[in-house]
Amino acid sequence: MSKVDLPGPGLWTTSVGSFPKPEYLTKARSQFARKEISREDLTQLEEKATREWIEFQNSIDTDVVVDGEQYRGDMVAYFAEELPGLEIGGLVRSYGNRYYRKPIATGPIGRDHPVTVDWWKFAQGLTDAPVKGMLTGPYTICDWSFNEYYDTRRDFVLDLAKVIRDEALDLEKAGAKYIQIDEPAASTRMDELDLVIEAMNIVTEPLSAHTITHICYGDFHRAYPKMLDIPVDQIDLEFANSEYSLLDEFSADPFTKHIGLGISDVHTHTIEPVEEMAEGIRKALKFIPPEHIFVDPDCGLKTRTVEEAQEKLSNIKKAVDIVRAEL
Amino acid sequence: MSITTTVIGSYPKPPAEGETFTVRKTLHALEKGDVTVTDLHAAQNDLARQIIGEQEQAGIDIVTDGHARWDDILTPFARQWNGFEIGGLLRWFDNNVYYRRPVATSAIGWGGPASVDALKFAKSATDRKVKAVIPGPVTFARLSVDEHYGDHQSFVIAIAEVLAQEAFELEAAGADVIQIDEPALLDAPEDLALAKTAIQRITSEIKNTPTILATYFGDAKRLGTELFDLPVDGFGFDLVSGPENANLIGQVPQDRTVQVGVVDARNTKLEDVDKLATTIQQLAEQVGAERLSVAPSSGLEFLPREKAQAKLQRLAEAAKKVGE
Repeated sequence: MSKVDLPGPGLWTTSVGSFPKPEYLTKARSQFARKEISREDLTQLEEKATREWIEFQNSIDTDVVVDGEQYRGDMVAYFAEELPGLEIGGLVRSYGNRYYRKPIATGPIGRDHPVTVDWWKFAQGLTDAPVKGMLTGPYTICDWSFNEYYDTRRDFVLDLAKVIRDEALDLEKAGAKYIQIDEPAASTRMDELDLVIEAMNIVTEPLSAHTITHICYGDFHRAYPKMLDIPVDQIDLEFANSEYSLLDEFSADPFTKHIGLGISDVHTHTIEPVEEMAEGIRKALKFIPPEHIFVDPDCGLKTRTVEEAQEKLSNIKKAVDIVRAEL
Repeated sequence: MSITTTVIGSYPKPPAEGETFTVRKTLHALEKGDVTVTDLHAAQNDLARQIIGEQEQAGIDIVTDGHARWDDILTPFARQWNGFEIGGLLRWFDNNVYYRRPVATSAIGWGGPASVDALKFAKSATDRKVKAVIPGPVTFARLSVDEHYGDHQSFVIAIAEVLAQEAFELEAAGADVIQIDEPALLDAPEDLALAKTAIQRITSEIKNTPTILATYFGDAKRLGTELFDLPVDGFGFDLVSGPENANLIGQVPQDRTVQVGVVDARNTKLEDVDKLATTIQQLAEQVGAERLSVAPSSGLEFLPREKAQAKLQRLAEAAKKVGE
């Protein structure tokens, strides 16, 4: 029984999570890091940027809105900063000239206050469309952190799962009907997919919201169809980046959940033409009914410029409108 | 008899907390067109000099330039050679680190040396021995896309041909050790016979420089002792991610050297020097101190800079203890 309660025949538009920060915010973040401006000054600008992104999403009639994560740096470090037991470490390279602060587990992981709930409420106050609660999954937080405390990765992951579950429950209490628990690391090690599933079950078991997970950059062909055992209602995947080759897998093993259909590559400056995106949606419709499809970019858009991100999102909406008219 | 210490290759590039990250700044400036490629090379050379200095200071005997100019281990070669285009980002084994996948779209050909300038610079910056690192042909092929050859064997051999030329140039430029990285071979025992032919092609171009075939991120148990059929002077193992390598290490033929990764290059927790010394002592007894070198488990790029340096210090300290 679908928990999705949205108007229309399906092919709903959404986003994976992050949006680029406008220049004034990037500047303010470095000023804040250098202690040149106050926390309040920075928060004001984060709110301004969030407001702008929600207004943009409203302007293109986005079905499920995200807050754009203007107040977050890295998706793991953001939680690490707030959770007891995790410390922020030094800079580590992710690729090329991109670096992130990789957290370090130095004690038992706990949670002494809600982390994302206030921002969710702020965003929901700015739109009539539902706003997604956005969380980083326990397996990914573990995999993208150093571990100086736990004896095993499983101990580390399961402690994180309880913390993320409590955060999800608080989001639900605040009114979130869509909660995304990102596990981009889930496809890293096939022998740990069971651990991903075990941890996700701890998170989603008590939830009544429509749950989503986003997975990227992995050996999809080895992870599928086992990936369908992850206890969520929807899996969000990148299709544009791999020229829709993932769809080939769906003929042998049908995709049984709702899907987040990524139709715009987030790692290129190129804005895909509307017709190319529409063709991608049509391909997916051969395998999955429209009422099970959410259309979005491949991944978070934070590495694009504001203009590129908006153009990509606008084209996605145009492509969806074209294909919806054909249904 | 002291135990030789070395590194596998890469080293963190960000500076200590609070210091200016010149290479990153220069790359940003280059994107905007504010500086030239010459400025970037100068910044990268400065970084290489610092990285070599930190290895010297820690007490490492055989150093590298830390791959100071490289984004990953494949791209600099794929860019230099004919026949390759640079593809999308993919995860580097099971790390939260990415590489760009080379795509072979036409016949692969030598387009000039890819790593020789960096080696020459490193040689000029230190009196220590300098190790040159090249990707192995099987790993290169398995992490790339072949849109030209259509069969894996021809693709691997074509890559080996150009790597052989690179190895020849590296020896001529004064490399003290040439390391061939084959981490992907660990999961590809079916490629062993092919690897033998391909590696033979490379090492036959190297007259006197010692060669090492390095594996990391896991154990070599699926390869077994057939690994030793590969025509190289020594073998490298990761004892941290692959504790089961202990067994294979004892079976390396007497006329080959053994390089063992004993400190974890992928976790910040610092090793206890006494425990490290015990491990190294056991290895020295197992294979003989003269054949042994010890190293981090893989390239150090996965760690923050100060942790990498602290790990090298502990490694060298432990090796020294055993040597006394």
